[in-house]
Formats: sequence, structure tokens, C-alpha cells
Amino acid sequence: MKEYDIVIVGGGPGGSMAAKVAAEKGLKTIFFERGRKPGEKNSSGCGLGPRMWRSWPNMMKTLTEDKCPSLRAGRFARNYLVDKKGEVSAMILARPTESVAYEPAKSFITMNCYRSEFDPWIADLATNAGAELKCSLLIKGLIKENGTVKGVIDEKGEKYMAPIVIGADGAVSMVAKQSGLRDKWYHDHITLVPQYDFYAPREKIDLIMHEEALAIWWMAGGIPSAYQVFFGDGFHVGLGNWMHSWERNPLYYLNYVVNLKHFQRTIKMLDAKPREVQAHLLPWMPYPEKTYANGVMLIGDAAGFPCPLEAEGIFPAMESAEIAVEVAAEAIAEGDYSENKLKEYERRWQEESSIGTEFEAGPELWSVWKALPFNAKNMDWFIPMVSEALTGIFDWSEPHKVRIRQIIAHVKKYLPQAMPTLMSELVPLFTKALEDDMGKLMDPAIMPTLINSLPKLMSLMPDKKKKRRRRK
Amino acid sequence: MNINDFDLKSISTHIEGTEDFISIDNDKCNLCNRCLVICIMNLWKKREGKIVLAEDYKQKCVECAACYQVCEPGAINFQYPAGGTGVVFEQG
Ligand SMILES: Cc1cc2nc3c(=O)[nH]c(=O)nc-3n(C[C@H](O)[C@H](O)[C@H](O)COP(=O)(O)OP(=O)(O)OC[C@H]3O[C@@H](n4cnc5c(N)ncnc54)[C@H](O)[C@@H]3O)c2cc1C
Ligand code: SF4
Ligand code: SF4
Repeated sequence: MKEYDIVIVGGGPGGSMAAKVAAEKGLKTIFFERGRKPGEKNSSGCGLGPRMWRSWPNMMKTLTEDKCPSLRAGRFARNYLVDKKGEVSAMILARPTESVAYEPAKSFITMNCYRSEFDPWIADLATNAGAELKCSLLIKGLIKENGTVKGVIDEKGEKYMAPIVIGADGAVSMVAKQSGLRDKWYHDHITLVPQYDFYAPREKIDLIMHEEALAIWWMAGGIPSAYQVFFGDGFHVGLGNWMHSWERNPLYYLNYVVNLKHFQRTIKMLDAKPREVQAHLLPWMPYPEKTYANGVMLIGDAAGFPCPLEAEGIFPAMESAEIAVEVAAEAIAEGDYSENKLKEYERRWQEESSIGTEFEAGPELWSVWKALPFNAKNMDWFIPMVSEALTGIFDWSEPHKVRIRQIIAHVKKYLPQAMPTLMSELVPLFTKALEDDMGKLMDPAIMPTLINSLPKLMSLMPDKKKKRRRRK
Repeated sequence: MNINDFDLKSISTHIEGTEDFISIDNDKCNLCNRCLVICIMNLWKKREGKIVLAEDYKQKCVECAACYQVCEPGAINFQYPAGGTGVVFEQG
């Protein structure tokens, strides 16, 4: 039996960050990873958001290409709109827009790297700070006394005691289960994400994709939308859906995307070859459930923290790690490990972290994603409607005036299907997002200008058709 | 190159362990077929009206736990394999 101040199950971004912060606080810390090294069990092929550089500037500076050769900045994202027949009907290039104020967010959307390099990098920071790491070791159970978690037991029967145990063991969390916080996820709170990794020569990616190292394949025709993320010498393509939404094998849908004519062309140009098949669960929910009990706190995926719109999960895992360790240190100083004390963890992530802010609009964000990219019925009008509206004007077969009428008539055709969904999804989202600023929107300084411009707008609307002729 | 043409096993790496880590309790199974549909490695089969797990699953399973998660009556037991064994994601 060994004794520690804090025991952390899991050596992913959440567990390693927790171990780093705990060791820096001088706590006797151990963390466990079932893989031979951190990262080899994890597939997310991760896009790191710029807020990581904002929150931890000194730490992120040390994530360099020599430690992480797979690094590649995703500056721009290609958005392919794919119709029911599998044709790309439009392609929109997204880049950080004018309103993005924060540097480095201006220069990249995500920084991409493989977990097999990222996870060891952050675990090293923890061990350098003095935390002990045991790899190739599965933690099998929690040790409980009178309903309080007191430590963990490994697969060989060895016990590790600590007043605080942190469950950083990901989506299939033994700690959540054995502490009674969760048995299984609700089927629409967890997604399965299968993905392929493709090898492609670095020079080809540099040349052909250049700064467009991200892509989303927005799919109609009953296929969930897919992502494509480029790394140093390869790329991932994957897609996800909630547990009960798979009507066929998940790889049927993924193969459909990979076999698209347009996708196959990219493969040929890049000289790409399939290198690895992966699948992982990813929590994706409107609001997390309880995250603490006597002697135990859950962080990261174990707690259900990936963001409710796009399931970005690395940042919230690391942010929740910091908060949990802060509370753990206070609990240790006070000698109080009860859930009454650890409730403070939940209060802080809800009220004082970006996780809490994100989940403020959680149900609305989650619902939008569910209703669109992963919803076959809706994508079948969304794709043609958006393609028509954005790119329909590029047609030289008719006078433009006629063309505009055709486009409007065509978009109108989809409105009866589109409006109910757009109203029921977007109105609640905008109302929620703007609830703090309603006053500003109704700003008396802006209102008169708006109101004054209305009659002018009205005068532009002709009441009858006027023929336009050369001015004499 | 067509993606259906390659063998999934050839693009995944495994360190095979000795202990079992997935099992099924057929008494609890209600034959909903969800595990059959969701396993990307096709490791669940129906034989003579009974759900069975492929014998060589330890060489193929990617440890996603989707079968466990999707099984409502709790007929599938899943634990991660022994530390240091099982699937390895080199480019995860
Ligand atoms: C396909 C996919 C793509 C994603 N893309 C992104 C992205 O682009 N950007 C982003 O921010 N997020 C992304 N995510 C989400 C992100 O991967 C997770 O939110 C993040 O990994 C959570 O970190 P964690 O430390 O909480 O858990 P994990 O990363 O899951 O780490 C848990 C660790 O604990 C170990 N472990 C588990 N149980 C035990 C045990 N009993 N004993 C010992 N060790 C154990 C595991 O091996 C693992 O290493 C993606 C997820 C998936 C599945
Ligand atoms: S998911 Fe469970 S209940 Fe359904 S067929 Fe499989 S084992 Fe049986
Ligand atoms: S864990 Fe995943 S790969 Fe393994 S049998 Fe279950 S569904 Fe199939």
C-alpha cells in the first residue's frame, strides 16, 4: 500500500495537466496510464484551439515541432457542400473573420497534432514537475470506506491511497462508474467517432493543401457530416453520431465520404494511403451531470465536458484539471474531503470557467448540431438551399435579373421545410446568446438610425414594374 | 484506390493480451442487434439466434466500447484489457 496526496486515473490531457498542477503545488501526486505510453490509446488527432495559448502561454511555447513533428496549423477550413447524389455543390473557404480579435486566433483556427505526440509532451511536463507516472497499468477499482473514496487498486492488486482521487479516465470512466456518479451515458449524450488516418508525403500536403489544413464535408443524403484534419505527414477523416443514430455500420458512412469522387481526387493528388483505422467514444451533451462525490472529482471526458457544439474536448479537460486541483489543495489544507467541500469544484467550473459559459447555451448548441450536420432530413434541404443562395449567381445562361428571380424562387421552394427547423433551432440559440446584451441591441443611439432608414428602404420597393431606359 | 478494398486488420496494430476483456450474458440479451450494427471491426455475429463475439476479437478490437455502451439491457460486459496490451494508435 502506497500513500499520496492525490491519485489521478488517466494520462490524457486532463490527467497530465492535473498531475502537473498538483506537483507544482507540492502535492505528492501519482497518475496512471493503461497504454505503454500516454497517447497510444487515444484517437482524436487533435485540433488545439488558440485559447490554449491564451490560458497557458508559457507552457504552450514549449510545444514545438521537434517534440511534436506532426504539428500543422489549420489556418483555413474548406467547407465542401455535398448534395444527395454525392456531388460537391459548393466549396466555401473559411478563415478567421474580421471580428476575431485575439492573436493567435487570427492566424489559425486549430493547431493540429497527433495524440501519440501531444499526450507524452504534456505527461513529461507533469513528471518534470515531480509527479509520478505509471504506464502499462490498468486501474481496476476504487477503494471506498463508508461511502468515501480513499484510493484506487490496480490490476495486480496493488493499492494507492489518497484523500482525493481524480477521475481523468476518459469517456469509459471506471471512476465515474464505481463512485456511483454514472453507470452508462444516456444514448444521446455520447457519440461514436470512427476515423481513418491516411499517410501523405509532407511536401505534397504543403503544396496542395497549403494553409487549408482543415476541411468539413457537409453531407446531404443521410450521411453524417465528416471532418478532415491535416498533420505533418498525414490526415484524418472521420465522422460521428449518437449511439442510437447508426442505422448501418459506422464505416459504411465513413467509406461513403472517402469514396466520393472529389475525395478520391484529393487522395490521388496527395498520393495518400490509408495507414490506421481508429474509433473512440466522445461525450457530446447538452449539460454535464454531477461531477463530484465524497473524495472524488471527475474532469475532462469522464465529466462530459467536450463543448456542446463541436465537441472540442482537450481545452475543457485541461481547464477542469486546474480547477479540480485547486479545490483538492484547499480540501487537503482543510482536511475536508467530503462532497460538501468538493461541491466547490462544480460551482467553480459552472460559474468561473469557460466550461460553464459554454454550457450556459449547452442545450441550444447541442440541439443545433443534432438538427443539422447529423440530421439527414434537414441536410437534404440545407445543402441545396445554401449552395443556391451563395453560388447560384454564377451562371451565364440567363440575364442576371432573370437569374436572381430563379434563385429566389428556388430558395423559396425549400423554405416550408427550412423555416420550422431554423426558427425552432436558431431563435432559442440567439435569444440565449444575446440574453446579456438585449439592452445594447435596443440601444437608443442605434434605434433612430434604424428607424429612419426604414422609409428609405420602403421607397426602394416599387409598387409597380417600371421599365428602365437609357437616361436622356 | 477504393476504401472498401483494404483489410481493416492490416491498418491496425495490436499487442495481444491473454485475458478476456469483453463477454456477453446471453440471458440478458434482447436481440436488438445494435452491437452487430455498431462494431466497426464486425466482431459481433448472430449464430443460431444467439449473439456471439468473434473468437479472435483480441487481435482486432479497437477498444471503443461502443458495443458496451449501446447495449441497453446490459448484456455486454466490457473492461479495458490489461495495461500495455491491446490496440495501439500510432497516429491517433
Ligand atoms: C475522433 C475524435 C476527434 C476529436 N477531435 C478533437 C479536437 O480536434 N480537438 C479537441 O479539443 N478535442 C477533440 N476530441 C475530444 C478529445 O479527444 C477529448 O475531449 C479529450 O481527449 C479528453 O481528455 P481526457 O484527458 O479527459 O480523456 P482522454 O484523452 O480519453 O484520456 C483518458 C486516459 O486515461 C487512460 N485510462 C482510461 N481508463 C484507465 C484506467 N482504468 N487505468 C489507467 N488508465 C486509464 C486512457 O488510456 C487515456 O489515455 C475528439 C475526440 C474524438 C474521439
Ligand atoms: S446490443 Fe445487447 S441486447 Fe442488443 S443484441 Fe447486442 S448483446 Fe443483445
Ligand atoms: S469495443 Fe468496439 S471494436 Fe471492440 S468489440 Fe466492442 S464495438 Fe467492436
